Amino acid sequence: MIEIDARGLRCPQPIIELGKHISTLSSGEQITLYSDDPATEPDLNAWSRMTGNKFLKISSDEFLVTKN
Amino acid sequence: MVRVTGNFQSESPLHPKAFEVLHAAFDNGWADPGKLSQSASKANQVKNQALESIAESLGVAVDAIFAFPSIALGYFLGIQGLYENSLTLVHGATDRKDVHAIASPLSHQVLPCALDGKLITPGQKMSSSVLALQVANAETGVIQEISEVIRGIGPKKVFLDATTSGIRTKIGEQYSTAIFDSSSWYGPAEIGLLIINEPAKWSNPLPHLNAAHPNFGVSLPLLLASAVALENFSSEVTEADARARTFNAQLRESFALIPDVDIAGSLDSSMAHLLSVSFMNCNGEELLRGIQSDGFSVDSGSACTADNLQPSHVLAAMGVLTHGNIRITIHPETTQAEIDGLISSVKKNVERLRS
Repeated sequence: MIEIDARGLRCPQPIIELGKHISTLSSGEQITLYSDDPATEPDLNAWSRMTGNKFLKISSDEFLVTKN
Repeated sequence: MVRVTGNFQSESPLHPKAFEVLHAAFDNGWADPGKLSQSASKANQVKNQALESIAESLGVAVDAIFAFPSIALGYFLGIQGLYENSLTLVHGATDRKDVHAIASPLSHQVLPCALDGKLITPGQKMSSSVLALQVANAETGVIQEISEVIRGIGPKKVFLDATTSGIRTKIGEQYSTAIFDSSSWYGPAEIGLLIINEPAKWSNPLPHLNAAHPNFGVSLPLLLASAVALENFSSEVTEADARARTFNAQLRESFALIPDVDIAGSLDSSMAHLLSVSFMNCNGEELLRGIQSDGFSVDSGSACTADNLQPSHVLAAMGVLTHGNIRITIHPETTQAEIDGLISSVKKNVERLRS
């Protein structure tokens, strides 16, 4: 599984990094995104609505993203 | 240096009539209306005329109006003056930070909102509550269904925040206190009006000798300028809103053609002169600077443009994309050429930042 460590990066970089990698995946495959940017969680809400991909918050800086 | 040819920021110049009055008033050197001299007596007369004019334009009784010199102070007066320890303060997630700050030490409940920005009321009534309700949001322009929310909560007291809506939206009669911001009708900034519609439910929350009245005044020239701006804008608002609605629709239609765009709220249920839009995979600060370099000034709710690096709590509460955000305010003097220029600039800069 792909892991993206975006800790220390500020918006919109974590979402841009996520977008780059998820385009290489097949449906159902997953990415773990590490991000401590306060904008990441609200942005993932909107991003998943707009792209159809799903995410699960594992901890304050860890998100499990599943390709639609 | 790039000359700004199109101002789409929330700040705007004074109404031209208010500007004239302000200059004349300062030239006359108004005395303190509380004194007994002839000029003080004249100043008091002018103050009363200004308040009467404001009362007439807002459709409220003149003895219910109190001017205050800071919008943040107005929130405190309007909300804290209604609060009792036995009550819960209920307010919306998209309210101004001032409301969140007042609620923080009190017993409070935050109403979430849907993707369209409309508040979601709980299933049961909350009769032991003070409801602080924003008529329209300053970032997105989304207008709340005031009567529906009040009916859903069934509060003991109601505070209405009309600082953004001003005279563009009717606030009805179902409220205990309300505040208006003079800048919403192109009057001076930081002059507000507190309306105490139900005096029996309000008590001055500041140190006072009279619990029934706020115990401070405001600059007479600024109050006078506010009254003149309101009187003039009252006769212009219908036309200004119609023009803004046409421009807003053009902006929304053009932006909707750009891939991965998120527009906050619908035009049908928003203030016609406000628009908030986010572009995925764009840095808000770079987008703002790019648009600025083309001669157009806009605001942004993205975290990268905020001092504390926090994203807009309004966009986050709605579930709208918080990065790559710009906020656009359409003013009465905005032209078709400026709208066309802004659309071209946004398209160009979004494409550049994504490449």
